[in-house]
Amino acid sequence: MITLGIKDQHTFLDEVNKRSGCNILECYQCGKCSGTCPVSMYMDITPRQVMQFVKLGMKDEVLVANSSWFCLTCAACSGRCPRQIDIPRVMETIRHIAIEENISSKSKKVKDIRKFHDIFLDMVRRYGRGYELRLMAEFNIRTRNYFKDMFLAPSALGKGKIKLLPARMKTAKAIKRMFDMAKKLEEQPKQ
Amino acid sequence: MKKLTYFPGCSAHGTSEEFDHTLKLVMKSLEVELDEIPDWNCCGATSAHVMTENLALALPLRNLVLAETLHNDTMGIACASCYARHKVTKYELDKDPVLAKKINTTIDDGTYHGSVEVKSMLQFVYEDIGIEKIKSLVKKPLTGLKVACYYGCLLTRPKAITQFDSPEYPMSMDRIMEALGATAVPFDFKTECCGASFSISSSDVVLSLSGKILEYAKASGADMIVVACPLCQSNLDMRQPGVEKLFHVKLNLPVMYFTQLLALAFGHDQKDLMLGKHIVPVEKALAKIGKEPEKKEEIKSKKTVESEEAK
Repeated sequence: MITLGIKDQHTFLDEVNKRSGCNILECYQCGKCSGTCPVSMYMDITPRQVMQFVKLGMKDEVLVANSSWFCLTCAACSGRCPRQIDIPRVMETIRHIAIEENISSKSKKVKDIRKFHDIFLDMVRRYGRGYELRLMAEFNIRTRNYFKDMFLAPSALGKGKIKLLPARMKTAKAIKRMFDMAKKLEEQPKQ
Repeated sequence: MKKLTYFPGCSAHGTSEEFDHTLKLVMKSLEVELDEIPDWNCCGATSAHVMTENLALALPLRNLVLAETLHNDTMGIACASCYARHKVTKYELDKDPVLAKKINTTIDDGTYHGSVEVKSMLQFVYEDIGIEKIKSLVKKPLTGLKVACYYGCLLTRPKAITQFDSPEYPMSMDRIMEALGATAVPFDFKTECCGASFSISSSDVVLSLSGKILEYAKASGADMIVVACPLCQSNLDMRQPGVEKLFHVKLNLPVMYFTQLLALAFGHDQKDLMLGKHIVPVEKALAKIGKEPEKKEEIKSKKTVESEEAK
């Protein structure tokens, strides 16, 4: 049931269109994206439905759905879209809006995915380069799944696939500064 | 001697050490000097662009600016994800100089000019080196070996950005393998996503997606899968025992990097290829080189990844 007024209906659509550089009104709901998407079966609303929801201004439903968080950015959908809509970019815009407006899905899966990304970015901020052991350990601890992938540890560590110590950058401070400067840019009003 | 600016990426010293190592062996044979970017940083991979707008562009930008100081016209990137991030950043910033200037304020290492071209290592080997040169260097042909070339989603998509090979059914790796004497089997899942960075945060997605790729490769008659991306290799190899356990299927399909096979065909010994790093052993598949093709193994079990998943 659409309860938003006509004015609100277009605000969300306009915002998504502007930020993604797409025109979602071009979508004629052929469903090729949903059929192609390798993870559409995991989504609350499929890519085709996401397009329609955005068109109808159903902002809350779109931001709370797990769909944008499952998007792999594999671009199989946009490659086949007959209207050449950049669907991964639309999914990305939806994620960014959800982060900015502090809207989080109640789904544990989405919370885990977001935790992973936060831990990953924290790792990059600290070391400037990847440190997989810490990434996996911290993820296990924060998602309280302490023994996840433990059976992989002996072979991964033994074969040197995962290193015990982090790689170091000479100018790791440059990365910390970059993170701070980028954050300031995010805080600027959107044009 | 050709010079190529090289971005190794975070996995080069860890999960994909064998890729980095054999790439260097191959480049030596191809007479290409690799110029590694000084003090490069992580490209941000999936997490940066999923969660941020500006940081996602800033991280690769620093590497692009550092690459310009080496004065080579092309930068080659081994990891498909790092390649995608640098390529997309270059595409966005070349298109929008105002945005480029804005993102440039986050780094101290110089100003971006857009003078370096960004290519994946597969693209560089295929386009800049070429099939004829590769054929001329083959000392030990890989005849008898049947491979399924798996490209993953980022090497050829989105088409507008990569402008390399086909986004649906690429053949560059297949042609390289054929030039080495191997048989590249027709493989419909060659660009289906393996589950990528969900490896840690949503492993069940990876097990399902990678499981289907492995199964299809086996059904296509391949002795092994050949890849050009560390995350794909990790998902298809390290997660293979998990796939077998979850879906009650037997796969035993090794996953090798295309540079390992290039190095082998160029005359390097098997012990130089870091084969010990693989979770699924590769020796049995490699033993097929130079032998008569065996009768296709009949798959007796009725269980498949899809049928088990539906339960």
